[in-house]
Amino acid sequence: MKRGIISLIIMWSMLAVQIGVAQAEELVVYSGRSDKFVKPVVKAFTEKTDIKVTLHAGSSTALLNKLKLEGKRSRADLYISNDAGNLQKGADLGLFKPMKDDLIKVIPANYRAKDNSWVGLSARARVLVVSTKDNSADFVKSVFDLADPRLKGKLGITHSGNESYIAGVTVYMRANDDKKVKDWLAGMKSNVNGSVFNKHSKIVKAVASGKKSIGLVNHYYVFRHLDKKPDAPIKIVMPDQSNDGMGVAWNVAGAAIAKQSKNSAAAEKFIAFMVSEAGQKLFAEVNREYPTRDGIPTAKNVPARSSYKVADVPMRDLGTYRNATLDVIEAVGMP
Amino acid sequence: MVKILSTRSVLSTSVVLLASIPLIYVLINSGQLSIPQWSNLWSARLPGLLWNTLTLAILVAIGSFVLGVSSAWLITRREFIGRRVATWLMILPLTIPTYVFAHIYTSLTESSGWLGQLWTMIFGPEIQNPELYNVFGVAFVLSIAGFSYVFLLVSDALTRSRVDIEEAARLHGLNSRQVFWRISLPMLRPAIAAGLALVVLHVLSDFGAVSMLRYQTFTLSIYLQMSGRFDLQAAAGLSLVLVLLSLTFLILERFFRDRQRYYSAAQAQRMKRRPASKTEMVLIWSWLGGITLFAFALPVTWMLAWSWEAWQLDLITEEFWGYVKNSISISVAAATFATIAALPVALFHARLRNKISQSYLHMASIGFVLPGPVIALGILSFVLSTLPFIYGTIIVLVLAMLIRFLPLAVQAQEASVQQLSPSIEEAGRSLGASPWENLRRVTIPVLRTGLVSAWVLVFIDTLKELPATLLLRPTGFDTLPVRIWIEASEEMLELAAPAALMLMLGTLPVLWFLMRQHDASTR
Repeated sequence: MKRGIISLIIMWSMLAVQIGVAQAEELVVYSGRSDKFVKPVVKAFTEKTDIKVTLHAGSSTALLNKLKLEGKRSRADLYISNDAGNLQKGADLGLFKPMKDDLIKVIPANYRAKDNSWVGLSARARVLVVSTKDNSADFVKSVFDLADPRLKGKLGITHSGNESYIAGVTVYMRANDDKKVKDWLAGMKSNVNGSVFNKHSKIVKAVASGKKSIGLVNHYYVFRHLDKKPDAPIKIVMPDQSNDGMGVAWNVAGAAIAKQSKNSAAAEKFIAFMVSEAGQKLFAEVNREYPTRDGIPTAKNVPARSSYKVADVPMRDLGTYRNATLDVIEAVGMP
Repeated sequence: MVKILSTRSVLSTSVVLLASIPLIYVLINSGQLSIPQWSNLWSARLPGLLWNTLTLAILVAIGSFVLGVSSAWLITRREFIGRRVATWLMILPLTIPTYVFAHIYTSLTESSGWLGQLWTMIFGPEIQNPELYNVFGVAFVLSIAGFSYVFLLVSDALTRSRVDIEEAARLHGLNSRQVFWRISLPMLRPAIAAGLALVVLHVLSDFGAVSMLRYQTFTLSIYLQMSGRFDLQAAAGLSLVLVLLSLTFLILERFFRDRQRYYSAAQAQRMKRRPASKTEMVLIWSWLGGITLFAFALPVTWMLAWSWEAWQLDLITEEFWGYVKNSISISVAAATFATIAALPVALFHARLRNKISQSYLHMASIGFVLPGPVIALGILSFVLSTLPFIYGTIIVLVLAMLIRFLPLAVQAQEASVQQLSPSIEEAGRSLGASPWENLRRVTIPVLRTGLVSAWVLVFIDTLKELPATLLLRPTGFDTLPVRIWIEASEEMLELAAPAALMLMLGTLPVLWFLMRQHDASTR
């Protein structure tokens, strides 16, 4: 009996190892985006093409690191990131295979890498979420006003490791001088007094419940909250819209084909699907982001992209200047 | 005789070499740092990291000491209703990983969480409810997650301790408080040191809780260096400092443990538990109940509530059972191979008991002093450069778990190897048993307890392992911890909860088995 159990255990161990070795041929996607946003797209793609897709989920940054470490041994065919910074970083490291212009030319050039090694699929705007109940933050017209001491204890921002946050700071640094950004960070640091949020959704919640008066978030978090609570006392304010203002910071989520992929034909099909009208509509709907392809309508209630000014910073800068941004954030000691 | 010795030495040498892969990786990479880079690292990062890490370690040590020693003392020295249950309640927190504790307590203390609402009810909405994103929050989480180690070792020592000395002290006129502080506590020092060292090592290498609570310790900073900035050399440099820090703790612990021999040498008199009075019983249970509430009951209620939600929404799909299967397969495999790999090292030490075998034991403990992300990285680059064809398979993951948790297996077996005097083995040989038969019929049965504990300990820790699994799992091979990690970072509570619940349930049977065996040996 006892020996039976032991040999069973040993056999199982061997079997477990065996199962791992036998793997079917399929498209492997390293996905740094939430499963719930990628899965509907994958499902639609598999239904259409019969190509099986394995999602390997994780944080965009960690997966890019994994791709780099694995080198030509990586099984990844595609890399999906929620941030242009990682995409450009991967391009700089030579991890991606540039795509044919024909494949992605429907996407405007400023949402792609110079050499087409990655393509932006959906964009998000850094906006202000403001309480409609108290007027203490009504004077804020620019993100730089968030450093105003009048907002002490009333400001909600995420911790400085957040990819969207870092990307936003990069945009502000490209559109202004470093000194101004440093002072701004220092002002916000004193306003939040060590208490930052680990999620954008929690900032929106805090503003809605009156615990904070204003927050800096990606636009779709506000709509997600309004979905659940349509009467929540919050509104979106587009910052930096004055004549000499820099405009709203944008960031794109996107995809790239891994350099060592032996499945590039199938990978290209997946890219083609994601930039197609059907694919772009899915992106617009599931997360209320801006489809990067022209002519695809944005989801209901989302302010049209033509209705406000967007900061004139190429998306690839988010990768090129990421380490410089991290240096500034760390020098200020943002929590 | 010579032949066995050589087999053992060859086998144990190869196991030790395998175990030192991550350390070699760290040495090679940090060796590439130039002097200016080192001094930059030294001035810019180390003071802050040292301060953060050490204050956290000290706070957790204090927390675990208070929780672990008090509960162990009450349970071993007083007879009260539900004492057996209480023992169980004190070790059950081991079934919940630190990152699950961290995740649950952050959602409980939010203003909309159970504890947050309670806070607002008591103190009103003006007073900000406490947050966990600071050293005290992290210390709280790691203390309730780790005090059970102190409890286990101290209650063990208390059961075996020599009551006659305490009685002698009492006869000489010391009151019970004096007896506790001047006699019992000093005698417990080795067990407390061992327990606290275990807790501190867990603190130093913890990845899940500190990254969820964003508290910059060495381990988190190393992870951020390598995955955020792609700076592998700085990560290796920091790892090297962490290794030195951990080694200091290990040496301190050995120092205290070596003294144990003086105390437990003599035949101990059987200890009698004093029946508790009614008032005492109320006090005992309110203390133990309070610990249980925070370290087990509340988290489990949370898991059950959200799992129920998931069940109602039909979210427990086939995929979920796939994660369960993956988790169990990898844990069974890692536990089995680690137990087998630890055997030659333990036996080698049992036979030789010299400096070399001692140093082998230390070398096999590398998995304990290096953080998970670094071990994973070391194995990744080793496999890619020497055995690229196994990369991407589950073998790599099993190898990582084996190296990471080998110290547990070795330590568990070392304890029972102590009972294996060379004369027992020689008797077997002289009665005509072949080396193989001797191993099977004499050595293994003597070591059975140690082998089982080794297997169980590695199983439990592999089941909960996060950072190395994140990096090394084959594509699409998600385990329960990986899913908890992903769902928790997306705020999908109803998906994280059932996974956490399954982890806990998966640990229970093996823990029960371990405790039963433990009871049998102390009875």
